[in-house]
Order: sequence, then structure tokens, then C-alpha cells
Amino acid sequence: MKRPVFTLYCLLVYAFLLAPILVVVGASFNAGNFLTFPPQGLSPRWYVTFFHNDVFMRAIRTSLWVAAVATVISGTIGTMAALYYVQHAGRWKEAVRIAMLAPLLLPEVLTAIALLFFVYAIGIGTTTMIGMIAGHVLITLPFVFINVSASLESFDPSWDMAARSLGADRLTRFRRIMLPLIKPGVIGGALFAFIISFDTFTISFMLKGIGTSTLPIQLFDYLRTNFTPEAAAVSTVSIVLTLVVVIVSEKVLGLRIHRF
Amino acid sequence: MTEVSIERLTKTFGSARAVDCISIRIADGEFISLLGPSGCGKTTTLKMIAGFEEASEGAIRFDGKDVVNVPAEKRDIGMVFQNYALFPHMTVDQNLAFGLEMRKIAKPEMRERIAKVLDMVQLGGYSDRYPNQLSGGQQQRVALARALVIEPKILLLDEPLANLDAKLREEMRVFIRDLQRRVGITTVYVTHDQAEAMTMSDRVVVMFGGRIAQIGAPSDIYERPENLEVAQFVGQVNLVKGTITAAAGAGKSRVASVFGEVAVDSRTDHAPGATVTLSLRPEAIELKAAGQGGAQGKVTARYYSGSIIDYRIALDSGETLHVQTFPNIRIAEGDRVSVHAPADGFWLLGAAK
Repeated sequence: MKRPVFTLYCLLVYAFLLAPILVVVGASFNAGNFLTFPPQGLSPRWYVTFFHNDVFMRAIRTSLWVAAVATVISGTIGTMAALYYVQHAGRWKEAVRIAMLAPLLLPEVLTAIALLFFVYAIGIGTTTMIGMIAGHVLITLPFVFINVSASLESFDPSWDMAARSLGADRLTRFRRIMLPLIKPGVIGGALFAFIISFDTFTISFMLKGIGTSTLPIQLFDYLRTNFTPEAAAVSTVSIVLTLVVVIVSEKVLGLRIHRF
Repeated sequence: MTEVSIERLTKTFGSARAVDCISIRIADGEFISLLGPSGCGKTTTLKMIAGFEEASEGAIRFDGKDVVNVPAEKRDIGMVFQNYALFPHMTVDQNLAFGLEMRKIAKPEMRERIAKVLDMVQLGGYSDRYPNQLSGGQQQRVALARALVIEPKILLLDEPLANLDAKLREEMRVFIRDLQRRVGITTVYVTHDQAEAMTMSDRVVVMFGGRIAQIGAPSDIYERPENLEVAQFVGQVNLVKGTITAAAGAGKSRVASVFGEVAVDSRTDHAPGATVTLSLRPEAIELKAAGQGGAQGKVTARYYSGSIIDYRIALDSGETLHVQTFPNIRIAEGDRVSVHAPADGFWLLGAAK
């Protein structure tokens, strides 16, 4: 492809990807009463409405909380599973991989229904958030697993042997050698987990307790009866939150790849 | 410091015996090489000494104390790996400090020891560099420094020069050997490169198929190989058929061959009349112009390589010989030559097959 044609092609791809976001952000500053684009006059009034809307505020807190808990659990289990997969699974390697990726391959609604049956069968039900968090862990696990095992594959076993020869016990070797070297994979996986958990609808819809609601569900509920720019404001805030999570974790935890 | 004794050490993988009942006594401060082709069990032996592989049978003693059940991290060894295995997320300084931190050495002493050892490997100004900012040779020296700074009982090296280019490899041979002499540490060095083993070691252990074929000083291995396999592995060799004419006493036998009758050194006894194989090193042979005695032949090929010239000679009696000489003789391809082989150039390998 010639260079100008290629550039145009790239621009179109970006436009396709980013235009919906621009429309939502634009519509959220609408001064009018209906969700339209281009906005009829500019005003932050729908943000004010949103921030004073207790239902939305509660939903956003629930979403953040569930995503944080699910990320920590999923990050831990996923990292441990990846360690087993790369270092010890032996002839079970392929089986372990398929099992770990299963939540990604199955339709989410099936996973959700199965889990719903399960939490009622074992008597937990949906009165607590345990079921929903378990669901979030389940669907985010493959992302942690994929990221961590990719960085583990490039972990040279002789680093571990060298550390052993220098007198480091198992825990020290994990903490001082392996963890820093696979950190980009762990953090990358955790970010995926957080964003997917924050964003998921189906699992939350099936497993949420009576009276609790996550942001995507609350937004869906709202849009069934209302069509105001407040919905766009909610969406914009959730985009910004996602960006903040990515940037903060990059700055604080260091997502940059080590200099090999 | 440390004497290492390996006794009937065996490693089996399923039904395969990777290392088969080997015994080696390594003296304090000795530099010993395990030499052999890949798959001969040399690396497995090293890993058992280090503690990375469990021994199936036998004992490994450091100063008389069996360490077979001691985990690698408690054996107090220094190890250098083929790919150096420097920690990529740590600077040179941090790499070196790691082993000292594990030993809970106080900061001031740590600084002192790191500075000393960096000086020893001539990397004084490099402590803040990351491994990927160093050349292969420098990384190699950092790996050596990291293994030595903890002042281990023994130093183990697993093909440490295999990833370097030829010129650097020769420099590093001398460097490691000198450093080892200065530190005086008991050293086990694994290599498949016979020249490396020869130039560096006090003694060489030649291994084939999990067993020891021969243990001896480099000159012993080269000049008095135990069998044909060893002779061929440690250098190029001509095989000459001969017949025993008489025992000559003092480990010598008189042998008649195309080169006449000579008294040849031998480790084995053979009855007169027995057919035997003699080895004759290419550099022991002397070429002269045709008609000057010795065996007669013709030069079929000549390869010039600077410090030496390689000749292929077809003897009139049918054998082909490989000859190496200094390039100060001018013999061309196709020339007829007289081939002389001095008695001490021969070694009796054993009965001919």
C-alpha cells in the first residue's frame, strides 16, 4: 500500500474506534434535555445531576469495590495458576491451559446461569456479594493467567538456579528474583481484570443481590425509562475512571518493561 | 579450603543411566575439567555437585562431609552458567550484593568485598551498569565475580565460554585460569572443548556415555590416552597397524609397522605376534624430501592455516596420514615425500579390532 493510502486507512480505523467515545463525551455536556449529538448548547448540568444521584453514586462505589476485590483475588489465583502451568504442569500443561481459558470460551451468560444455580445449590444465594464476586473472578481469571504465563515463559530457569547457588531460599527467590521479573505481566493482567470486572454486565445482572447494583446495570435500568444526557455523563465518568486506574497503576507500580 | 570427593555417583533417568558410578577425588585448590561430548553426563555430574540434580546413588563429600542431602542453597558453592544468568533487573553491584545479603554480611564489609572482587575481574567502574549494558565478555566476568564474592567452598563452571567468540574465548581461558590460581579455589569446569580443558586444568576427566574414560593431567590424556575414543576426542590422531615383536620392558613393547620396528610406550601387555593399533599424533611426524628413508608417500592435500600446515599423505603401503608441520617447510600438493615418525610419537592403544 502506498503511504498516503495507508495513513488514510489508519485514520479511518482510529475514527471507527474513537468516534463513539467522542460522541458520548460530547453528548454528556449537552445543555438540552435529551441525549442528542451534536449537543444543543454546552453545560455541565448533567454531571451535577449525576453526582447528586444517590442511586448512581452507590452503583459506582459498588462497581469499584467489586472490581478491586475481584482483581486482588483473580490476580493472586491467576498468578499462582500460571506458575503451576509454566513450571510444574508437565504433561497436563495443555489441559490446564484449556481449563483456565474456559471462562473466556464459554458464553458469559452460560457461566452466569451456571453460577446462579451453584450459589443457590450450596445455600449462599444472592443475599451477599460472594456470588457476584466469584463470577467476576471467574471471568477475569483468564486475562491474568494469559499475561502472567506469557511473562513466565520468558523467565530463564537459570536465574532461579543462580539465586539458589547464592544461598537464596524459595521464598526469597520468588520475592527478589521471579516477582520483579514477571511484574509487568502481573500488573498487566490485573489491569485487564479490573477493567473487565468494572465493565461486565451479564455476570453482575444474574448474580447481583436484591437492591445492589453495579454501574453498567444501573445505567441499563436508567436508560429503559429515561433518555437524558445524564447517561452520557455516567459513561464519560466511567471512561475517565478506567483511564485513571491505568495511569495510576503505571505510575505507582511501574508497568514499564524491564530493561533486558 | 575444600577437598571434594565423588564416590560411585550415579544418576538414572528412568532406565537410562546418565551418570554411571563415577568416582573422582579433587584436591584442595585443584582445577579439574569434566570433558566429553554432549550427553556424556558431565553437566549432570556438575548439577549433582551443585545440588540442582539429586544423586540416585553414591556420595559427594566436601571435606569428608556428605552433601547429597544438603539443598543447593546451603552447599556454599559458586556457580557460573553458560548464559551467565545475571539478574537483569539488578545492577552489577546488586547482582554481586545478592549472595552477600543472603549471608547477612554487614554493609561495610559487603562494599569492601564487592570492590575487591570487581577489581579482580577488571570491572572497577561498572558497578552501576545493568547486565544488558555490558558486552558478553564483561557479563561473563560479572558472573565470575558474583560466584567468587561469596567466597564459596568450590567454584563450578558450566561451559562458561561457549557463548563467546573465538578470540575472547582464548583470552578468558587464561583469565579464568590465572584468577583461579590466585584465589586458590577448588574448581570444577565443564566443557566439550578439549583445548579449553587442556589449557586450563590441573587434571582432566574424560567422560563418555556417563562413565569416566580417563582421569589424568592434560599431557597424560593427550600423550597416553586410555583408548581410541579418548585419543580421538582430545585431538587428531593417525592410527597405524603394527605387530608386536617382543616385550621391551619398562612398559614398552617392540612393534613392527610401516615405519620400521620401534619400542613403543604402552599401558597394556601383549604377546609377541599380536596385532595392535598404534596412535601417532599428526604433529609428531616429520616430512622430508623423497628418498630420505622412512615410509614413502605422496602429498594429496595441503591446508595452510598460518601457524601450521596440514598435509594429507597417501603412503605407498595404502594408509593415509594426517600430518601437521610448521610452515617453514615447503612441500606442495602432489610432491613425493619421505615420512619419518620418531619412536616417542607413537602410543600403543591396544589390540587391533
